[in-house]
Formats: sequence, structure tokens, C-alpha cells
Amino acid sequence: MMNFRRVLPAGRRRETLAQGGASAPTAPPAPAVAQSQLDAERLCRLIHETTKLDPHRKPGHQLAFLVRSIFQVESVAIFDADLHEVYQSGEWFDDPQNMLQNISTFETVSDDPETGLSRRVLHMGQLSIGALVIRGETRGQIATAIASVVAITFDRYHSFANESRTEIARQTEQLRTTVLDSLAHAYKTPLTVIRAASEGLSARGSLSLEQAELVAQIEEQTALLNRLTTSLLRTARLQASEMIPHAEKVEVASLVEDVVASLRDQLAKVSVRVEIARDDLSLRCDRGLLVALLTQYVDNAAKYGAPGTAATIHAEDGDSEVIFSVHSKGPVIPPADFERIFDRYYRSSASSNKAPGTGIGLSIAKRAAQAQGGHVWVTSDLQKGTTFYASLPITPQGGIRT
Amino acid sequence: MTASSSIPAIRVLLVDDEPAIRRALRTPLNEMGFQTTEAVRGEDALHLVQTQTFDVVLLDVNMPGIGGMKTLVRLRALAPRLPILMLTVVDGEEEKVEALENGADDYITKPFSIRECVARLRSAVRRAQTPERNEDAPIAIGEIQVLPTRRAVSKAGQSIHLTRKQYDILYYLMTHAGRAVTYGKLLTAVWGPDYRQEVDYLRTFVRQLRKKIEDDPSDPKYLLTDAYVGYRFAEQLVENDVPDAPAS
Repeated sequence: MMNFRRVLPAGRRRETLAQGGASAPTAPPAPAVAQSQLDAERLCRLIHETTKLDPHRKPGHQLAFLVRSIFQVESVAIFDADLHEVYQSGEWFDDPQNMLQNISTFETVSDDPETGLSRRVLHMGQLSIGALVIRGETRGQIATAIASVVAITFDRYHSFANESRTEIARQTEQLRTTVLDSLAHAYKTPLTVIRAASEGLSARGSLSLEQAELVAQIEEQTALLNRLTTSLLRTARLQASEMIPHAEKVEVASLVEDVVASLRDQLAKVSVRVEIARDDLSLRCDRGLLVALLTQYVDNAAKYGAPGTAATIHAEDGDSEVIFSVHSKGPVIPPADFERIFDRYYRSSASSNKAPGTGIGLSIAKRAAQAQGGHVWVTSDLQKGTTFYASLPITPQGGIRT
Repeated sequence: MTASSSIPAIRVLLVDDEPAIRRALRTPLNEMGFQTTEAVRGEDALHLVQTQTFDVVLLDVNMPGIGGMKTLVRLRALAPRLPILMLTVVDGEEEKVEALENGADDYITKPFSIRECVARLRSAVRRAQTPERNEDAPIAIGEIQVLPTRRAVSKAGQSIHLTRKQYDILYYLMTHAGRAVTYGKLLTAVWGPDYRQEVDYLRTFVRQLRKKIEDDPSDPKYLLTDAYVGYRFAEQLVENDVPDAPAS
């Protein structure tokens, strides 16, 4: 352990002397010089003690205690504006909270010889993060230095706390993803059983019209529940991979072919047209994310497209990007929803009555594009129909692993 | 084709740890003339195939114990010609490829349609029971005809010129009609094992091939895409897709 009673090095001593602004160097230490030296030693000790504080625990109480005991003052009060908490040490006859809040808000700094109160703002950069009040005999400079030490300690604690909050958020997200995944898997068994049973009923062929209608409803809703489950599963998978894009060469024609083939059942009511500028159109991007994006767009077109109309999947290259679009004729999306429709859980009033959904899908598309430096948008009107677009860079933008 | 009661029942071994799934399959399958035996785990299935005879196995991928994939590999070793169909969930594309490359004949995705399941079971059994075909025998599916002795292909009587590799792809897929053929398998068969990763390469050839044999290459009826897995050549065409046959 460091010895604080140690005499300061020569250079440092001269500085202290100069600050004291007193007597000749040869004279024995004047009281002011002795005081300065003591202050410096106390400051060093405060700094040293604060570095030993547990960064995961709120430092306020310990700081108040340390300042009071090291500087031998009557009382200390500290305000953490971020947490809105007051820490005291020593006797305070009035609750110092209001005074501290005012100092922090109005940044009123003062040394009052009559009351012996030194008021300081805790600064981090230009920002006021709290206040410090010391009652007792302290020099102005020293009070300012103490305020700096307290501010730095607070800042250290807050950045540690933020870090662990982010970590907790990440873990919560991971847990959510896991739950979602196992839930979706668990749903598949009952869905299989319901589907088999209702099909078994309709296969008997001896049902009355009403009975057949009821069975048809069961089958329809089972298919719907299955699609929702599949989409949840897809979402969970994407979040599990944390959307860290891994770029590889992707041939657009092949990928579109897969997406369309995988949605064969959903696309029963609309026909599909694929228009790809050229056969060898390709880009470097994350295949899984692009599949997720296009699956969402095509699924949407299948869901909202009027029966008998065509869904057109188009891809062409621009200067430095490939632009994908999926066009369909269905309910018009009002311009006010053009942005929000890509937000999580937002469902356009134009859509929510027409088809069931989770309100997650398009947000996945947006995240999938953004994760690779691309973007998404939509246009919609009665004449031209609805077109969802996505633009992705031909070669990955910075930050993408290849 | 009409199933007659004189045809012996198809013996299915049902392997799934979920009692509800086994029950859901048992009733309709029995009703449609299948004879079902059930196993709860892969270990039980391995024991059963050594003591009884089955025509086909329906095997769940996700099971406790050794699980579906290991069971598949061991079943394959025990019974090289026994058709095995895997039950998977929809997002298991890698699982499907793994199953097919480990020797599964096909896969069915949960929640499946019983009709589809029955169709797949029947076609797997039929394929297994068809005697080994003569390599040189002509093949005809829908309007497409292949004469292996001359490497000649025609559609509705019109001869189609194919490049050597296009022909090889078509021939392989048509001799495996009705089955999902993974990219890896097809690449290995046509180009050799060193090329089994060259999926984009294969896709280019398939696109060209489709332009020659399909009416609408973007909506193929013969050479189908098995999303994220590979290709599947139609076993037979749905009737209304075939243009009117000349009146007889």
C-alpha cells in the first residue's frame, strides 16, 4: 500500500509553493504551504481510495464518507442527477436535496465563508451530472478538485452500469428468441395432429354441407396458424444469428427460384412472374438475410394480392446496388403508413382487417436490408398497385464479415 | 390406378416420440390400407427392423435418445433398400439435405397433409419394388422422352438438342423421378465429387435445360425446384397440365 505521508517530489513541491504564493524558498514551510501540502496528500489519498471502489456498486455513499473523513470536514452531500439520488455524510440540519438539485440545474458554484459551504457542480465534459456541497474548512481549489474526482467516479460507475444493462438486454433478447423457437417447434405437433384429424374427417366424404363447411374452417385456420408459427420460427432464427451478415456471392435468379418454390402453397391464389434483368445478375451479400427479406415480400404479396392477380418479382442492378421489388395488386397502403409499415408490430389499418399477421415480418425485411447497408421502401396506389422495394449494395459495405 | 384389397397392405414402421403424432397417423393410414407398427425411439426402430419386415419407414428427425439422423444412418446400414421417409419441421432445410445425403428417400414437412404423406409413402414403396431398370430402356414422363442408347431427347415428338452436361442432368433426374435430389448428389453424379459445392454452376445449367424442356421456364412442370435442397423431377404430370391428347 502506498504511503501518503511520503514527502512530495521536489518539482511537485515547488508547484505547490508557487500556488501558495508565499514566502521565499529557503524559509521554513509557512502555514499556507503546509496546508497546501496536506491538501495535495489528501487529494491523492481520495483518488487512490476511489480507484479501489467496486465499479458495480453505486459509489455515492462511499464517496461522501471518503471526502468527509479524508478532508476532516463537518459534512458532505453529493447529488447524482442521473439516478436522482442524494448521498450524505455527517450532520445536515436541513435536507440538502433542494440545494443540491439547484446547484446541479443552475450550475451555481460558490464558496460562502459565513456558512462554510462550498457548492460545486459535477461536470462531465460540458454536462452537469450532479452536485457536491461541503461544509467545513476547505479551499475553493480543493473543493473543485474533489468535485472532479467525484464526477469521474460517477461516470465510471455509469458506464459500467450501461455496459451491464446492454449485456442484460442482449441476454433477455436471447432468452426471448429461445422461448420463441421452442414454442414454435412445440406448436408443430398439435398442428400436425389437427390437420391430420380434420383431413381424415373430410376424406370420409359422408359429411353434410354444414359439417363440411365446419371442417373446412378448421383446415383453413390450421393452415393459418401454421404460417404464423413458421414466420415466428423464421424470426427467432434470424434474431438468434443476431443479424451479423456473412457476405458471399449470391446469384439472384437461383435465390428467387428458391424463395418462390418454398412459398408454393401460399402462392396458390396468385400467379408469380419473375423478371430478372439478366441471368447472371449476382451480388455479394448475406444469403440468409436476403432470403428472409424476399420471403417476407413475396409472402406479403401472396397474402394481400387479390386472387387471380399476379405477383411480380423484379431484380435489376443499378450503379452500385441491386434493386429488388415485389409488386402485387391488393389493398392500397396509405402514404402515411409507408414508413411505419416497416416498424415492428405496426399493422396498417388497410391490412389489419384483410389478412392475419404478426406485424413482425416487414420489420425483419427492413432489418435484413439495413444490416447489410441497404434500405427498403414501398409505393402503393390504386392504379399501380403496391410495390415493396429493397436496395442492397452489390458489394458489402464496411463492417460486414466476408 | 385403383387400389384393390387383393394387394397386400403396405407395412409402415412409424417412428416418432410424440404419441399424438403416432395416433394421428395410425387411424388414417390403417383406414387407407396400411398396416402400421409403432416405435417411440430410434433404438426401438433398429430392433424392430431386425425382427420384422417393413415396406417403408416414417422416421421423425427430432427424438430423444440417438435421434432420427443416427437412426437413419444405422437403418440404412441394416437395410440398404428399405425406403425411409423423414419427418421434419419446416425450417429444417439443412436437416433435409443431411437426411437425403444420409440415405433418406424423401422427407415430409410437419404439419403435413395426410394425402401427401400417403402419396409419398406409396411412391417410395413403388420405387423400391420396381425391378432395377435397364439403363438403356427409354424413359417417358409427360411429353418428355429420353432414348439413352442415342442420348436423344424429345418433347411431344419434337427432338430437343441438349449439350452433354444438360443431357446428363436430365437423365439423372429422370431416372430418379419423384425423388428430391440434393445439389451435392447431382453435382457429384454429373461432374464428380470435386464439384459438389458448385451450386451456382449447376443452377446455370438447369436454367438452360428448363428453357429447352419447359413450356414456361419460370413456372416449371417437369424439372421442379425443391427449395434450398435441390431438384425433383416430376414423377408424372397432373392431368390438366398435359395438353389435350389427340382424340382416340
